[in-house]
Amino acid sequence: MSELIEAFNTFIQTPIGAIIWLVARIFAIMVPVLLGVAYLIYAERKVLAAMQLRMGPNVVGPFGLFQPFADALKLMGKETIIPSGANRFIFIAAPMLTFFLSLVSWAVIPFSDKLVLANVNVGVLYLFAVSSLAVYGIIMAGWASNSKYAFLGGLRSAAQMVSYEVSIGLVIINVLLLAGSLNLSDIVRGQTSMWYAIPLFPMFIVFFISGLAETNRAPFDLPEGESELVGGFNVEYSSMSFALFFLGEYANMILMSGMTVILFLGGWLAPFNWQCPIEFLEPLWGIFWFTSKICFMLFMFLWVRATLPRYRYDQLMRLGWKVFLPFSLIYVVGVAGYLVSTGNFPKVGV
Amino acid sequence: MEMTSLYPVASEIFLACAGMLLLLWGATAGEKSTGAITVATGIAFIIAIFMAGHYETAKAVVMGGHVGSNAYVLFIKVLLLLSALASLVLSQHFLKSSKLSRPEYPVLVLFATLGMMLMVSAESLLGLYMGLELQSLTLYVLAAFRRDNAKSSESGLKYFVLGALASGLLLYGISLIYGGSGTILFGMLHEVVTADKPPVELVLGFVFILAAMAFKISAVPFHMWTPDVYEGAPTPVTAFFAAAPKLAGIALLIKLLYGPFHGLLAQSTPIILVLSVASMTLGAFAAIAQSNIKRMMAYSSIGHVGFALVGLVAGGQEGVQATLLYLLIYLPMTLGAFGIILSLRRDGVYLEQISDLAGLSKTRPALAAIMTVFMFSMMGIPPLAGFFSKFYVFLAVVEARYVWLAVLGVCLSVVGAYYYLRIIKIMYFDKQMEGFQRVPGWGVASLLGVTVLFILTLAVKPDWALSITHDAAKALIG
Amino acid sequence: MNAELIPAVLFYLFAGVLVLSAMMVVASRNPVHSVLFLILAFFNAAGLFLLLGAEFAAFILVIVYVGAVAVLFLFVVMMLDIDFEQLRKGAWKSLPVGILVGLVLVSQMVMTAVNWQSLPTAGSSILSPAARHAAATNTQAVGAILYTDYVYPFQIAGLILLVAMIGAIVLTLRDRGGVLRQNINSQITRKASDVVEVRKVQKGAGIS
Repeated sequence: MSELIEAFNTFIQTPIGAIIWLVARIFAIMVPVLLGVAYLIYAERKVLAAMQLRMGPNVVGPFGLFQPFADALKLMGKETIIPSGANRFIFIAAPMLTFFLSLVSWAVIPFSDKLVLANVNVGVLYLFAVSSLAVYGIIMAGWASNSKYAFLGGLRSAAQMVSYEVSIGLVIINVLLLAGSLNLSDIVRGQTSMWYAIPLFPMFIVFFISGLAETNRAPFDLPEGESELVGGFNVEYSSMSFALFFLGEYANMILMSGMTVILFLGGWLAPFNWQCPIEFLEPLWGIFWFTSKICFMLFMFLWVRATLPRYRYDQLMRLGWKVFLPFSLIYVVGVAGYLVSTGNFPKVGV
Repeated sequence: MEMTSLYPVASEIFLACAGMLLLLWGATAGEKSTGAITVATGIAFIIAIFMAGHYETAKAVVMGGHVGSNAYVLFIKVLLLLSALASLVLSQHFLKSSKLSRPEYPVLVLFATLGMMLMVSAESLLGLYMGLELQSLTLYVLAAFRRDNAKSSESGLKYFVLGALASGLLLYGISLIYGGSGTILFGMLHEVVTADKPPVELVLGFVFILAAMAFKISAVPFHMWTPDVYEGAPTPVTAFFAAAPKLAGIALLIKLLYGPFHGLLAQSTPIILVLSVASMTLGAFAAIAQSNIKRMMAYSSIGHVGFALVGLVAGGQEGVQATLLYLLIYLPMTLGAFGIILSLRRDGVYLEQISDLAGLSKTRPALAAIMTVFMFSMMGIPPLAGFFSKFYVFLAVVEARYVWLAVLGVCLSVVGAYYYLRIIKIMYFDKQMEGFQRVPGWGVASLLGVTVLFILTLAVKPDWALSITHDAAKALIG
Repeated sequence: MNAELIPAVLFYLFAGVLVLSAMMVVASRNPVHSVLFLILAFFNAAGLFLLLGAEFAAFILVIVYVGAVAVLFLFVVMMLDIDFEQLRKGAWKSLPVGILVGLVLVSQMVMTAVNWQSLPTAGSSILSPAARHAAATNTQAVGAILYTDYVYPFQIAGLILLVAMIGAIVLTLRDRGGVLRQNINSQITRKASDVVEVRKVQKGAGIS
């Protein structure tokens, strides 16, 4: 056994070995995420069905468990239609960009104490930067489709995402004030004694709602607005290019839940610092809590969708700019003032 | 940080806070609060003058070396605040009758003044740029304040585009200087920029800064924007443009010449000389052809900048004192002249053509008389104050052995006298026109009274003006 | 593989793509493509920052310029209906003047560069302007310097932005009549008893 480990260690020291090891780790993150996306779509249909007293998918496989794969196969088998007058390159690049961006964020997400692909100093900024890019996929798709509906949907969603990003940024600053670090693992470790959702409960709510808007989910799904825009920025998309948008949207939901968990719900930390009852499974204890919290947040996403009607556009903008922005700004000042006056301001470097 | 370390910028901090509070007030109370906010802004200016006089007399550099105070800066700041106050008084009636009375106007004037104060109190190139940009941005907005008027919008846009170019030149110059010297602080630059063989990148950088400053004070050949902007902007804004930013720009130029870049005087004096001669010449000749009185005032102000720069060509403490004296006298002269322009109304309409002045002496003899005083003073007729300002400038330049420049200056002021005399001729001898209205309100009236008193009495008792300009110049150079 | 090779390769990759995409911003015929190339240029600039170890600057560049500023560019460009070819037609006429001015500027720069002789103070302060924060991460160093040494320019920059905002509002905001506005307060405080009236209806008489 130890010889094997040693051989492995020497192998990953070599350049080619290092690259292979890196790719393997990337796949180890990507595959579960994609599986999660597939079953999130399934879960959404099941949960919505349950809340509306329906059955949901139940034909393909036991309890309809193979439904996502059936859908994927169907989409892959269809023809990619590029509308006439569309800008070919951008039309095809947009869904790829969306899908790509929804996956690259996972590089800095810490799954447990040691388990993170890239433990960068400015992890929060990285996440924020990547999530602020997601708007490009949508706006490019809307423009390149050469269609009014798609363009309007793209504009709506871009305006919405840019607006809510501002309050998300301020909420993150609240967390950073408490944690004193931009490193995601340090932020989670800072919550050992108390999850930030407790002192920052209003910010937690703001972040969750802004997250709904940022991912274009109900009740903020006006970019899709099927009643007026037919389907929003992706009306003209079909087959695989549509599937990429679809996957990207759900991967973004999971990512947003992951961010909420890391920033507010203690990441991989078990509640009340419970120890793992079975020593053998100790390494999986953090991953278990991290995933179950993500699942909880995702359930909230679905629950909101099943419960609330869609916002009107001016209400959406009003909420973002006139309520959340000033509120979170005041909270930043309040938190900073409290920390300075009680002498708890995180001491960093210098 | 000790509270006392903020004393050198006490008036600026006060004005910034006051501006933000007034803005909040205006935003919540709406347009009906404009009058009260204007009064409050005026009071804020007065308080700022007293704060500056109380806290900012000592020579100090604070806040990381970016800003400081001394007697020279204090002198300029007080003048700036007074001229801002005067232009607020001038604006009142015009804005109301032109339906421009919005609470943002006094707040913008306040921020522009703040920017100018920060500009002259800057002690680093970064602080300078910040102040300059605050001032410029506010002035662009003010120029376009009458947004439904195509000319006003055009003037704002023109000013903005050209002003942005000037800011670019300034930044480029600053970057060259930082690259060559490794510092942006005036104190450090004063030490490292020495006269013997200055590095070429410092000279080039300073030339860029000079070009940008020449743009801001509208010295020829960087004057192209001035007539259009002066004509298009609402008249009280034009009055403000002609007074405060000119003063701030020239004051900053003097500070740069004798502060951080005193080692480059040999290189910069010829440039100032060219700017000065070109501005005087253009100001004298181009104003003759104007029919719009605001355009005429624009060219007149270009000419005055040229005369003021003559003092800087002479250089030294006497030269700087002469320039400061020139500015001290130029401000009330210009503000007073604009006070007259803002009193010229017929049937509630403000007049802008020179020919509209015809017969003013019959219906409003007092206005015509006051205007005559201002025009004579601008010509430089003794014993009015305008004569003194030109006299001291030429005296300084003769002492500095530029006799030809003094002769040229006198000749050009004779040329310039033509268009000032033309106005007097139109007022007194042209065919009478009816229906000039009264001076709008006691504010403008009292401003006219104060300025004309200043122009008339300076000749009798010039000592105080000489002594304060002497002290200011000495604080900078001595 | 040489350890120094990778940064060098990355540098030339980023710098090369940066220069190319910057050229394409000007050269491409479709304005939307221009903006997209501009975004690519921003990305490569961020990459260069990363190579320098300035991760904070790199991500702020992406967040602010790519995430916000360029989105607005894209908005405007997508909605404008401008024939850029038409605009460019006149440009060829002024080309000789442009070339002349450019030549003068280039010759000045060359002269300056050739005769460049930094003062002795320049070297040390330019190479490590933040020597006393060498141990901190660059986020901390930026914070420490920005909010102590440069707090004055920082505050003035805030004022400048405030003035820009006032200016934008003053010059563009118009109160149009006839716009229905939602008053949330009155919606929430509205009670059934204020607006609903229960009446006894007489048979065959109806309600007037």
